[in-house]
Amino acid sequence: MGEMIAVENGSMGRVAYARIAPNEDLVQGVEKLCLAEGFRNAFVRGALGSLVDACMGTIDGKYLQIQGPAVEIVSLAGEVRLGEDGSLRAALTGVVADPEGNVYGGPFVAGLNPICMTFEVTLEEWLPAK
Amino acid sequence: MKRVVTTQLPRPRTLIHPGRFNPVRIQSLHSSKGRHVRLALLPGVSLFDGLVKPLADIGITSASTTILGGYFEGVQYCVAPPDQQGRAVIAYSKPIPAGRTYMIFGNATLGKSINGSPLVHCHAAIRTETGEVKGGHILTETCIVSRDPIPVLVTSLDEFELRQAYDPETNIPLLQPYKETING
Repeated sequence: MGEMIAVENGSMGRVAYARIAPNEDLVQGVEKLCLAEGFRNAFVRGALGSLVDACMGTIDGKYLQIQGPAVEIVSLAGEVRLGEDGSLRAALTGVVADPEGNVYGGPFVAGLNPICMTFEVTLEEWLPAK
Repeated sequence: MKRVVTTQLPRPRTLIHPGRFNPVRIQSLHSSKGRHVRLALLPGVSLFDGLVKPLADIGITSASTTILGGYFEGVQYCVAPPDQQGRAVIAYSKPIPAGRTYMIFGNATLGKSINGSPLVHCHAAIRTETGEVKGGHILTETCIVSRDPIPVLVTSLDEFELRQAYDPETNIPLLQPYKETING
């Protein structure tokens, strides 16, 4: 594991918007959007949409499942980072609302958050200083 | 089961939509540079008008916005249960009045509707008049800004535009990015 860095200087680059289709995974969909647009590091600038069901991680390694459909994404923040192994990894956190409007929050688990109807996301490219 | 905490990896569900599966799963476009605006939603105007008009005045008709929290005199929102008519997988519920509401955090996408008029698609977490924290699809024309301006960070989507178009797979109209054609 590499040395942890507290401060990373850089600048913002391009801005991409995507509509991601049903049954695609939220987290990996954002990673694939970066592949499509050639982004290597990015921040989420805005996002909304719905999930079939939501799955969020807990502090003790368990899974919080919220049953839909649909579970609405009402808040989302996060980033995509290029890893030392050359892979892309999105880390997304947010708040969702179940079909009765009750809200839950946490980190979205990759592979376990299928999109229900649509997911709209805007990413801003982050260009770390060399 | 509405909410459960488990040690077992849940199995994601693949739902069947009414229309033909579109092999293109990610529709994306990009601008070469981000352009940002700090906007204030002014007291007495609706969330819709407070976003659409000032941005149109500076030439922004497609944007992704973050509503950074504030009070509204009235908010109506919808949740998304299964469509009882079977036309789509889900359908928005009837509007739910939340009364005088604090919007904790919201994201709103600005684009054009099928008929070319401005369209705002907004989801938000709110604290309703009764004190409950709820979330859902916000009916932006019904949300009137209370006495204090509400800050919004706008990321303009230049070099392309968002337009609502009928999506055959889900059988509903959805915002999608298109190469810019004619301004206005």
